[in-house]
Amino acid sequence: MTRSVPAKAAVYALMLLMLVVFIGPIFWFVLLAIRPADTFFTMPPVTAFTPIWDSVNYAFGDPGNNLPQLLNSLIVAAGAVMLNLPFSLPAAYALSRFRIKGRKHLMMWYLGLLMAPPVAFLIPYSILASAVGLKGSYFSMILILQTLTIPFSIWLLRSFIDEVPVEIEEAARVDGASTATIIGRIVLPLILPGVIVTSMFAFVFSWNNAAFPLVLSNRETATLPVGTLRYFGTAGVTWGFIAAAAVAAMIPPMLIFLALDRYVVRGLTFGSVKG
Amino acid sequence: MNSTLAHRPRRLPAFIPWLLISPSIILLVALIAFPLLFALKNSFYFWNLQMSPTPMGFIGWGNYEMALSGGFFFGALLNTLLITVVGTAIEFTLGLAIALLLVHKVPGMNMTRALLIMPTTIAPIVVGFLFRYMYDPGGGLIPWLLTSLGIPLPPQGILGSSTTALWAVLFADIWQWTPFFAIVLYAGLLSIPPDIIEAARIDKASPWAMLMRIKIPLIKKTAMIVIMLRFMQLFNTFDLVLVLTKGGPGASTRTLGYSLYQYGLVDFNIGLASAMTWLMVIVVNAIIALLVFFAFKEFD
Amino acid sequence: MMTTPKISRRTVLKSGAALAGTSALGLKPRRASAQDKTLRVLLAGDPFYYAIEGLADQFQQATGIKLQIEAISLEALQARLTSSFISNQPDADVISVDQMWLGQYLESKWILPLNEFIKADKDTDIADYVPQALYSMNTWRGQVGTLPVATYGQTVLYYKDYVEQAGVKIPTDGSWSWADYLAIVEKLNGKDFSGAKMAGTVVSGQQPAPVVHMFTQLAASMGTHWFKQFPTGKWDFEPTIDSPETLEALKTFQALYKNSPPEAVGYNWFDAGMRFAKGDIGIFYWWTPYAYLCKKDGYMTGKDSVIADKIGIARLPTAPGKKQVVSIGGHSLGIAGNTQNRDAAWQFIKWATSAKTQKEMALFNKFGYQFSDFARPSLYKDPDLIKIYPHLPGQLADLEEGNGKIVRPPCPVYTTLEGIYGLNLNKVLSGELTPEQCLKETSVFFQTILKGNFLIPYQQASYDDTLDATKALMASLA
Repeated sequence: MTRSVPAKAAVYALMLLMLVVFIGPIFWFVLLAIRPADTFFTMPPVTAFTPIWDSVNYAFGDPGNNLPQLLNSLIVAAGAVMLNLPFSLPAAYALSRFRIKGRKHLMMWYLGLLMAPPVAFLIPYSILASAVGLKGSYFSMILILQTLTIPFSIWLLRSFIDEVPVEIEEAARVDGASTATIIGRIVLPLILPGVIVTSMFAFVFSWNNAAFPLVLSNRETATLPVGTLRYFGTAGVTWGFIAAAAVAAMIPPMLIFLALDRYVVRGLTFGSVKG
Repeated sequence: MNSTLAHRPRRLPAFIPWLLISPSIILLVALIAFPLLFALKNSFYFWNLQMSPTPMGFIGWGNYEMALSGGFFFGALLNTLLITVVGTAIEFTLGLAIALLLVHKVPGMNMTRALLIMPTTIAPIVVGFLFRYMYDPGGGLIPWLLTSLGIPLPPQGILGSSTTALWAVLFADIWQWTPFFAIVLYAGLLSIPPDIIEAARIDKASPWAMLMRIKIPLIKKTAMIVIMLRFMQLFNTFDLVLVLTKGGPGASTRTLGYSLYQYGLVDFNIGLASAMTWLMVIVVNAIIALLVFFAFKEFD
Repeated sequence: MMTTPKISRRTVLKSGAALAGTSALGLKPRRASAQDKTLRVLLAGDPFYYAIEGLADQFQQATGIKLQIEAISLEALQARLTSSFISNQPDADVISVDQMWLGQYLESKWILPLNEFIKADKDTDIADYVPQALYSMNTWRGQVGTLPVATYGQTVLYYKDYVEQAGVKIPTDGSWSWADYLAIVEKLNGKDFSGAKMAGTVVSGQQPAPVVHMFTQLAASMGTHWFKQFPTGKWDFEPTIDSPETLEALKTFQALYKNSPPEAVGYNWFDAGMRFAKGDIGIFYWWTPYAYLCKKDGYMTGKDSVIADKIGIARLPTAPGKKQVVSIGGHSLGIAGNTQNRDAAWQFIKWATSAKTQKEMALFNKFGYQFSDFARPSLYKDPDLIKIYPHLPGQLADLEEGNGKIVRPPCPVYTTLEGIYGLNLNKVLSGELTPEQCLKETSVFFQTILKGNFLIPYQQASYDDTLDATKALMASLA
């Protein structure tokens, strides 16, 4: 298909265009964090400048309000990932392996949960968290985030389990292994790539969520996306500070996706052809 | 290959699957039911925090009437459906086109693909800030680029004109989510068994026919899931609107999600916002039901 | 820290004062009984916040109270506060309270009235406040609910060099009418100046709050009211915005937009202000902080704008035969009703709003001088401050003509009304509605909303909320 020279050139041209369109804006925002204030809105764009670190220093050095938020985001997102698997893995296993009545509807129900408008839930969740004494805690955020992560994870994990030949399990079952042993010792190692990619998405969804932490966190537990909001004032936007905090908020998910890239494609088929 | 166990001779007790599934269901029901029931109850009460910290009384369908009256609801519904349908369609089409590009095995393609997913990993609120910065009529990158290319822009700016504002909001969403479609569809394309493609090639199927008759049908299930996912997220769009336009100019970018935000978190009219919540849940459920009925008929 | 035995308020006040004394002598503060106290402060991220943040150490050293200040955007702030109050979970000890929500916060007991605190604490120096500011922002039904930490009026700013070159004479003392103002704007529009195509003015057209904040100033100074009778006398919320005066104001506003950059239809507060700072606008009126904000080319960047030393300041125009009414807004601090640290919270409020701290905030120079929003007349006469902020005398005169309760009346459903008003005003700018249609439709909507919220007819108790009542209240607390 791509043997002829013009075709190859066309592929490269499109590839370049794609990178410019999808990566260019991110790069542009990164520059905002380190460019001098008088070039924020200069057109044609000023690309040659001496980087200044004032904004980054304000966000993460002195007074550095965003530094603890970075840690909070990490705790919340990692916590959400850890709570997610014990709930979604067994469910995904059962939905893959057993011919349960209403399986299709159950799968749809999980997906349907994502349709609820998140804005509507902020006040009820805030009341709920207070009622059980969890308001402001990491756990309240981790728990509520499960409404986003579990449904998605079940769908992803199920497609992985579908592809594990059932015969392997059969042998173990004949030897008297319990369901828990089978999931833990046999299925889990085989679908490890799936668990990784599921966890990546759970991490990123939780990391990026701004709405729930907005009402559930407090000063000590606020996450980074909430932290970026403060710079959007009524008297002005501190563009440099926003960019510094926002770029820091972009880095961990990006690093994770770049480092674990080989799992991404493998993980996102949703059991395409097999179904 | 049949991958279910239940029909095998050594039957497991019937409660085992439910034992595995129920924790997730119980947790999710517990977390989702409370706000939905909270909204259901309060949608019939007069509870406006500007008036009183506690509900002031039962008013029947009053909140629903208020939400539906004044022409806001249908205008917002129209905007919402427009960005939902058009957005999903564009993201799917563009994503598929990119996926077809990605399958070309040339040096650098893997790196490109790995980088491509980056927009999707950014927090939506940050995408809002990013585009607000880039759309700025007084020195933003996008107006400058378009003007340099000779494309005339409305004098009010991209976000200031009712003809372009909604599309500009949508564009930010497309930028963020097209890569997601692309990667998912690419993964789908890769999982098509090569012998099927080979057989079609021997039959001298045209590339177009190959795409429409073989590739798309084979990745249909994947595509449908992603389309549904995006459909639901787009239907609830409010964060981009909040950062970019506040629903303006006029009501041209007001979506249902933004109306809900306005009622609930600006006016703090809990009763009205609750009614709005249920109206939205009903509308989106009806659409999803249609989708499921038609598109997921044979889904197992 | 919850288990610390409850210390009486007076003890804390005394030790706080003693500590303030020692720190003034440059001594290392003694560890006080309040040392373990952590005070949570939740604010909006306006200019005053950056100064408070920079001075927070002073407070901590003087009182031994550890501060945790958090600043978020106005919308996020409201969401956080409201959800914390209806779930009755303390989120912060000191909060900034929007003046539109003051009545509701007090009546819901979400904040504590400050009357007793002020009375008990003479060095609050309540006499040193512009009464109009307290009246507009901080009082409700005879109670002081908050104290102002940043107080804004509205004023006219113009680009001196350009105006001079265009041969326009601007009366700076307020002896001009809105018709004069519009004529000047039209004269200044469309000319070239130092390489730029100049616009006569710039408006803030974004809905809901920005456009309402700007238009209502113009309307109020033409003598309009939102309602038949509020906040004085016997309240009657029958809307009166569909009046000839408001129509004239709206037509003027529409004409101002025609002489401003078309993008202004989507401009929020700072978009409009920063546009002026870019040097292609002749004249505009806006909140007073822009007198110093426009000297910088970006928010908290510390870099001078092109017009930094070329900004002229004038008092707002009036309408013939009408008494000037200036919009007053800003940020005020209150004590959260569900706090455990009310005494420490009061200490902080007293500190942040004191003349001494306010002056230091004005002299805080991390991003350039970015604070002159005082409510205390004494600071407006301070020569050190006038040297840095030459607009202060005019600003005080503006505040003294201020009446926030007329310009944007803090009636119970204000934010809902503002939402509708803002939408329709924005539609006038974008050409979807004529001024006549806008006011008619808005009026009908107002009526529906006010009836739906049981405010028409008004059956609850009225409160004759006059400036004199606030003056009397101040005297009784002094």
